[in-house]
Amino acid sequence: MSTEAIPAEKPKRNYNALFGLTLLALLVLLWIILSLATSSFASANNISNLLRQGSMIAILAVGQTFVIITGGIDLSVGAVVGFATVIAAMLINAGIPVFLAILLTLLVGVAIGLFHGFGIVKMGLPPFIITLATLTSLRGIGLLMTNGNSISINNDAFQEFSRNSFFGIPNLFWMVLLVGIPAYVFLHHSRWGRYLFSVGSNAEASRLSGVNVQRTIFMAYTLSGLCAAFVGVLLASRIGIGNPTQAEGWELQAIASSVIGGTSLFGAVGSVHGPLLGAFILATINNGANLLNVNAFWQRVITGVLIIVIVYFDGLRRRGGK
Amino acid sequence: MTSTAQDLHPAPVLEPSRTILELRGLEKKYPGTHALKPVNLAFKSGEIHAIVGENGAGKSTLIKLLTGVMPRTSGEVIWEGKPAALATPHEAMALGINAVHQEVVLCRHLTVAANMFLGEENSRFGILQQRAMVKDAQKIIDGLGFDLPAHVVLGDLTIGQQQLIAAARATVRGTKFLIFDEPTAYLTRKEADQLFTLIRRLKSEGVTIIYISHRMEEVFELADRVSVLRDGTLVGTRNISETNDAELVKLMINRSIEQIYHKEHFTPGAAIIEARNLSGKGFENVSMTVRAGEIVGLYGLIGAGRSEFVTTLYGRHRKSAGQILWKGKDVQINSEHDAIRLGMALAPESRRDQGLCLNLPVGLNLNLPIYKRISNNLLISGAQEKTQADRQIADLRIKTPTRNALASSLSGGNQQKIVIGKWLAHGAKLFIFDEPTVGVDVGTKAEIYRLFSALLSKGAGIILISSYLPEVYELADTLHVFRRGKLVATHGFRTADHEDILTQALAEKQEKLGGKI
Repeated sequence: MSTEAIPAEKPKRNYNALFGLTLLALLVLLWIILSLATSSFASANNISNLLRQGSMIAILAVGQTFVIITGGIDLSVGAVVGFATVIAAMLINAGIPVFLAILLTLLVGVAIGLFHGFGIVKMGLPPFIITLATLTSLRGIGLLMTNGNSISINNDAFQEFSRNSFFGIPNLFWMVLLVGIPAYVFLHHSRWGRYLFSVGSNAEASRLSGVNVQRTIFMAYTLSGLCAAFVGVLLASRIGIGNPTQAEGWELQAIASSVIGGTSLFGAVGSVHGPLLGAFILATINNGANLLNVNAFWQRVITGVLIIVIVYFDGLRRRGGK
Repeated sequence: MTSTAQDLHPAPVLEPSRTILELRGLEKKYPGTHALKPVNLAFKSGEIHAIVGENGAGKSTLIKLLTGVMPRTSGEVIWEGKPAALATPHEAMALGINAVHQEVVLCRHLTVAANMFLGEENSRFGILQQRAMVKDAQKIIDGLGFDLPAHVVLGDLTIGQQQLIAAARATVRGTKFLIFDEPTAYLTRKEADQLFTLIRRLKSEGVTIIYISHRMEEVFELADRVSVLRDGTLVGTRNISETNDAELVKLMINRSIEQIYHKEHFTPGAAIIEARNLSGKGFENVSMTVRAGEIVGLYGLIGAGRSEFVTTLYGRHRKSAGQILWKGKDVQINSEHDAIRLGMALAPESRRDQGLCLNLPVGLNLNLPIYKRISNNLLISGAQEKTQADRQIADLRIKTPTRNALASSLSGGNQQKIVIGKWLAHGAKLFIFDEPTVGVDVGTKAEIYRLFSALLSKGAGIILISSYLPEVYELADTLHVFRRGKLVATHGFRTADHEDILTQALAEKQEKLGGKI
């Protein structure tokens, strides 16, 4: 009966935008503090560096967010990044045109995502399990392919891409926009985006409303795999090698960025701008800690504390509305 | 001990006995609502006291106050002559007040025995005496006449059986005052009988039972007295022998049945869907036709196969035999997608589990089936999304501040309007409503029935499933009665009387119910 008694609530739609603004304010605040506290933070060199650091996690976090909105999780993205560096390096060294090599690497990411979708939808495996299995086995496959060695990429143009800038902004950051803007349109202005939310909120209700739930889940994991493979290409360009053990623990950073950006691990709540901001907040904290000569081990602790604090306040706000 | 043995020897009605619990001006206000207006009521020890009322009448609030789940705003509760604070659930339990809830609140992954003794485990030197507990639990269960094993995991039992365990659990804790909140909602008739046996037995042992139910027949079968709540006010208490169905309904809703059941008759048009000897999981050999402009009612108890039948029509489950004809053509419906494309719409039984995306906006829920239509190949038209949602909200009078409010923030009745409303813009030809008015207040019910008429006038057909006989009786042009997965009888509009239909739905219980209703 209490359901009848509760008067309808105030609109909460602006919640997402508001939360985004809060995150943006936090990011700006961090930048101001660090500019004042250190002489080197505000230098062009450091800012470019910061944007490069944050960009790759940001792209991973976008893909991850699609998956988390459906109520799933993709633990494999770090391993996919490492694996993709190997694929890209091998293809380029084999003399395949860079453009085609990148395309093939992305297709590998798509294939991995489809495999996850297959495992979840057709085999009934929990997302945590199937992506955990991929996490470990992809690293193994990569090591088998390379015999545990790194592959140096013999293509200077490919490597220069990640070091260069366009209009003074690092190319890697442009890549965030390249992924982020279509992702935003997809998530918030296309029906497939709506279906991601509805499946994460109530798969049965969505199915009965005519939503193809299986296809939606396939789509989420495929996009996450695609983003991860893309980051793999960028990483290969940046470090100039293919190495399957790269990007260790990036899946956790991507999840952390997504969660800091307001994504609910229970599904059906999330955005594109949130994870992007989350990724750059994490990058800023790491960068600032380096400049301030904080022990690198403390950075991990700070990240953990930040996740707890932000998610706690986020939860308070959500509950507070009721 | 079997249930029939108990039925033959009902416990003698106790002498008008002492009061065990008395409410004096008990009142509860929530911000913005007066959920329970001052209630004065005395419960006698050893009576079965039914409480009836529409949803939102204040029954749940009363339970929450009595079990210490929520603090009262004002008033007194006198327990065995002394004022009781009832500030915490723990305090209520210590006094001997327990409740069995509609939804089972036990641990599905633990064994039956572990659940029975949860919080009061038998242990020696810190080691659980598991075998002893299973033995004790089995003894209790056997003693109650339930044919259930104590060593199995609770989740392996049916919901009904779990409910029986929850009831058994409440009885072993020195309970003197036991509240049942719609306990039979998910029970089969046989399980309900076992539960009634248990309730009568508790009564004979002097336990006071509060029995909350929507089902009049159960109230008349079990209770000694009945109290009626309406809009948070106690409008009357009657001895069961001195009242009848009609009086209680009148007290509950304060208006006559005709005012609620809005019914317009249309000349039936061509057949929309026809099932020929359809069989599937949970039902067999069902044939029926739904024509344009007609409501086909499916009546039966929960578990009689009605929901299974319609979800099979809707492509959720595979049919095992038979034929489905859509507008005279043989069709294969392999998924919900196929059904929706043909022009079917299903408003499912459980709006929380199947009907709504609760933590998403009202507008998204309303538009979910039509996103394909309001977007081009790539993008959703923001303008259309707004106008479509706003139109449904206005047409259905959904009480929501904006289309962007979350569905979970709406009341049950308004949520149900979303579940139904999302199909209206879609423009289906056949609407299937599975228990559309469960948990919906009377005003909303009337609105929903008006909506049915509006749909029929546009040439749609409706399948209406209900466990509430008056609803299908007053609305259905053709009424099919289901029992145990079979279609056992068919009636025209108001051509049979209630007793006959009930008997057909229950069959083996006819001698017992025949006398009472």
